[in-house]
Amino acid sequence: MSDFFQFLISGIAVGSIYALAALGFVLIYKSSRVINFAHGQLIAIGAFVAYALVAWLKLPIALALLTAVLATGLLGFVVERVFLKRLVGQPIISVIMVTIGLASVLDGLMYLTPFGSGNFSYPAFLPQEPLRLAGITVSYPQLLAVGFTALFLLLFGWFFQRSTLGISMRAVADDQMAAMSVGVSVEKVFALAWAVAGVTAASAGMVVGTVSGLNQDSLIAIGLAVFPAVILGGLDSIPGAVVGGITIGVLQNLAAGYLNRFVPGGGTELVIPFVVLLVVLWFKPHGLFGTEEIERV
Amino acid sequence: MKRSMLLIGLTLLGLAQAQKTVSLVHSGAITGPTSDVGGPYAAAIEDYCKYANEQKLIPGYTLNCIVRDDQYQNPNAQRILEEALDRAKPAVYLGYATGAMLALKSLIQEVKLPAIPASAHIGLIDPPDNTYIFLPTSSYSEQVVALLEHIAREKKGAKVALVVHPSAFGRAPVEDARKAAAQLGLSIVDVQENGGSLDNTALLRNLEQKGAEYIVHQNVAGPVANILKDAKRLGLDKKIKQLGAIYTGGNDLIRLAGDAAEGYLWASSYYTLEEDTPGMRLHRELAAKNNRGTLGQSHNYTAGLLAAAIAVEAMKRAAQRFGRIDNVTFYDALVGMNGPNAFNPGFVVKTANSPEIDFTKSEQTGGEGLRVLEVKGGKFVPITQPFTSALFRKVHYGK
Repeated sequence: MSDFFQFLISGIAVGSIYALAALGFVLIYKSSRVINFAHGQLIAIGAFVAYALVAWLKLPIALALLTAVLATGLLGFVVERVFLKRLVGQPIISVIMVTIGLASVLDGLMYLTPFGSGNFSYPAFLPQEPLRLAGITVSYPQLLAVGFTALFLLLFGWFFQRSTLGISMRAVADDQMAAMSVGVSVEKVFALAWAVAGVTAASAGMVVGTVSGLNQDSLIAIGLAVFPAVILGGLDSIPGAVVGGITIGVLQNLAAGYLNRFVPGGGTELVIPFVVLLVVLWFKPHGLFGTEEIERV
Repeated sequence: MKRSMLLIGLTLLGLAQAQKTVSLVHSGAITGPTSDVGGPYAAAIEDYCKYANEQKLIPGYTLNCIVRDDQYQNPNAQRILEEALDRAKPAVYLGYATGAMLALKSLIQEVKLPAIPASAHIGLIDPPDNTYIFLPTSSYSEQVVALLEHIAREKKGAKVALVVHPSAFGRAPVEDARKAAAQLGLSIVDVQENGGSLDNTALLRNLEQKGAEYIVHQNVAGPVANILKDAKRLGLDKKIKQLGAIYTGGNDLIRLAGDAAEGYLWASSYYTLEEDTPGMRLHRELAAKNNRGTLGQSHNYTAGLLAAAIAVEAMKRAAQRFGRIDNVTFYDALVGMNGPNAFNPGFVVKTANSPEIDFTKSEQTGGEGLRVLEVKGGKFVPITQPFTSALFRKVHYGK
């Protein structure tokens, strides 16, 4: 039984990382109906900016992390202003293709930095000894992942329910034309969504870097690995991103714990998210919390 | 009139003395999966080519190095090689990934192009279509069998799990490892594939329940580091000892795993960065001169230097023996690299009975020596003398 709880707790920790990464997808989709295929690159950039600040400028780790979060937020903002602003009103497929192109460009640019190939790690800034309780162990990087996710969930909950800007974003998500007609700046909302997505991406990147080190390819892979979580939760639901992320993380760990024993070579944890994806798309294509659009024909 | 005659004369003289060009093509994972290995490997090939031209290591020839990123994708590797064959007529192909090399094996045979891959999959030098492929050092299979021999010396009848990369590269040594374990009286309790999970709790708990006392890794450093950290978190570091083949170890592993790397055992043919050999002195010099930073601190940089050094040496010998360098003379020079003509650049350990790098038509492994190293105080320290696996040839070739 203690194994079950250990798998569960570890799954929640991994799922929190997925949730953090998924939040960025959801924020952009929620405001602009665009799926950002360059999200993994934003995750990697955030993580490496923090590393560069620590390794080169010798900034204290907390300051480096905060600066990297803000810098990646700024990058998200700039990307929207430079590449996506001009595409407002264009077919969605054009916008999606731009994000795919953007992913390639950012990949190439990152390779030109000293971080393109190779493995790096942040200096140890968290206690090395894990927390042990009733036979269950949790490392501090895992707790950091859960903490960041909870923090962002609370912040976004408040932001979208209480702040004028958040309400504007929801209005744009519901109906762009109607929002514009009541004076909401759609452009401002789009740019803000990209900036906040950058902030969550950087947070996810730094957590992954703390848990398993920094490698461009692995960090970028996280960006796409969270698709099943996003689809499960609902593409436009922030609580859905969190529930989807954690559910996928837990299912992966339980599959690895209980199914791999019977499967030669293991690897069921890699398949499970996509099984979930298929099931969700069959029975509930809008996900657990996504908005179901009803069209009068 | 006199002036134009002089000009024509000088031009003809210049043409006669002009350097000829010989091409080498490398296609590897500079980006994409396993780029932590492919990046330093490709950087080393570039740096060695530059060094070879500066030092005029191939008299009368300028070396044209074509280094391309295939992103660990077989179709990209195939396209790059075919394009190079059409345009540059290379004398040698420095390949990279196991999957791509296996896919290109028949093409390499067809065009009779000598190839030196980064992959040490034994299948590359096994028949069929194996004439032109040469491994710079011992195969993954031999490294893993050597580790199993080390385990058998340490604990009779030990229970061993294999954790491998989910690819042809990772699976390469599994069959030979099973056969060797049976001969050594070890039991393989499980074989699991792992390409880099954020959490390895389930993997480790399952292996613990199966009674694994040792985990042998055939992977790259990142996933192994995560497993080491998780083993330490779960308190399994004292219970299960972990070991791995070439790409699992090195400075990358220590950087990623930190304290959790202590006690990890690594099979490697290469000298460590700190050792004082001509090859490692050159490694340090080229890495510093080309500002390679962390890439230059990797043993994968040493591996790239070795592959390029073997290629350049064979080109030099082909030019000296045959007066021309092409795929045919390169092959003849390479398979003549043995006995008194063996190559000793100082990158790879030698055993008492064998030189550093030697090839014949039938012996397509260059450096046959390897050592087991252990992480002690944040550094890999050799804990054995250079040796070759006693059992590998028996289990793989049946002799």
